[in-house]
Amino acid sequence: MNDITLLREAGPAAPVLQPAVRVAARVALLDEIERSKTVPGRVRARLPRPRTAIRIGAGVTVAAVAWTAAVVIAAPDELGPPPGSVTLVAFEPPVFPLALDPMPAGLGVSYSADPGGVLHAGYSGVGDDHIYLTVQPDEPEQYDVDDIEDVTVDGRHAELVTGANTTCTGPGPECIDIEVPYVHLVWERRDGQWVQLSGGGRYEDANHLLALAADLVDRPQAVPLQVHLAPAGWSVHAYKEDRILTLVNDSYEQQEVNVHLPEEPFPADELLGELMGPVGPVIEATVNGRPAQLVQVQGGPRDPGWYLQAQFPDGRTFAVQAPSAFTRDEVIAFAQQVTYTP
Amino acid sequence: MPAQPPPPEPPFLRALPSAQPSDTELIAGSTADPELFAGLFDRHAVAVHRYLGRRVGDLADDLLSETFLIAFRRRSTYRPEHLEVRPWLMGIATNVVHGHKRSEQRRYRALARASAEPPRTGSATDESHDRVVAEAMRAPLAAALAGLKDRDRDVLLLFAWEQLSYEEIAAALDVPVGTVRSRLNRARRQTRAALGTTSPFEETR
Repeated sequence: MNDITLLREAGPAAPVLQPAVRVAARVALLDEIERSKTVPGRVRARLPRPRTAIRIGAGVTVAAVAWTAAVVIAAPDELGPPPGSVTLVAFEPPVFPLALDPMPAGLGVSYSADPGGVLHAGYSGVGDDHIYLTVQPDEPEQYDVDDIEDVTVDGRHAELVTGANTTCTGPGPECIDIEVPYVHLVWERRDGQWVQLSGGGRYEDANHLLALAADLVDRPQAVPLQVHLAPAGWSVHAYKEDRILTLVNDSYEQQEVNVHLPEEPFPADELLGELMGPVGPVIEATVNGRPAQLVQVQGGPRDPGWYLQAQFPDGRTFAVQAPSAFTRDEVIAFAQQVTYTP
Repeated sequence: MPAQPPPPEPPFLRALPSAQPSDTELIAGSTADPELFAGLFDRHAVAVHRYLGRRVGDLADDLLSETFLIAFRRRSTYRPEHLEVRPWLMGIATNVVHGHKRSEQRRYRALARASAEPPRTGSATDESHDRVVAEAMRAPLAAALAGLKDRDRDVLLLFAWEQLSYEEIAAALDVPVGTVRSRLNRARRQTRAALGTTSPFEETR
């Protein structure tokens, strides 16, 4: 007898389906079927569609969050008009919770975060050596697995997952499928904190990954691109490679404010020509004591908004895209509290 | 004139015009004629209730109805090329159980506390021996199930009780096949470890 047979033979037994229960369930289904026919086009109460976000704050009080804090919000059935105003509150920027100690020689790190509290640290340098560290509340999903080896990290069970991802390379539709082998070291470091390590170059093999896992420590890392002011009730939606930060309105998820570092800033006198859709005029402003350009833009049929191009004190350019729920002064105030510390 | 050979026998398994529509035909037809969906209830209610009942006990009476109401509302999202109807229903039932984790946990723990019946003796057949062993393992097995993570337990029970393939479980739970393999591997290993010295079997894969 193996474990599967044992489960079938000795697992919990089910109660018998009584005729009355069966009839009642069938009647409930027929009732639902009947309602679906007799009320055409009605808006049925939708099952809650969970959305995970990192809440910034509620009300007008100071709010502090971490990347991993999460709330689940049911999406509204029908969108009404977007909220017409915001209340800016102080915001404690989120942090990446872990660090490698010692830091791998010759590598720098950048951070990203996806909705759902999935956090990434990418370590890379000038050569092929690189490391990806992912931290998330749920077990990471694995694709195209060839083998799973049980190992131990810091006394906890871990898995070395090997496989090969299929990637299409080459220009346009003529690309060619190639298989790229991978090794992932995955374990639940503590309850609700899953970690996945993978790498390339000299960090590609399992032994190096296990050695790196032993270097992992709890040490919150401040991310370089930060906002210190945010609308009450909004959340960090995503953060990409220290260059893009998106906040979203928890109660109206189409409403976002976005901060990014453009690769190639627009010259101030070319800004209007570069922005898409009906825009303008350019409103001259001051942010961090430097000239900034604020433009009213058509963000979409529901929500026009603002585009602000400004500079940090060191002269590096950043941009803010905000919905029209922000007033002109609020866009400026928000931008004044954006910092970048690479 | 030689005798004519007898006409060939009609294909034994040929679908006849009066044959019952398949599950896929019922679910496809229910878009235009919703009442067809009741046919799926008639075919699968017992199996869905049994699966739910093994996980949550008497609460299955309520969750049976909930499972089929959700399935009816989501019938337009069903894709027959990915999954047959029974695994699809089991996936929905599994998600319904998630809303009642505490009930499921309580049930396993209650079963684990219950004293296992002492093994009966007097028979030498392998079959009866397995039955005796299984009886003795009910309590520790329930305790082992209680100790699994929800997602690992989902995969293990769909594999063991419903005999779904990796691919069917992946489609039913909307996760990659690799994730199914990983969860099943972990669930089986942890189950064996939890049974420890009481385990009646050698490790099998």
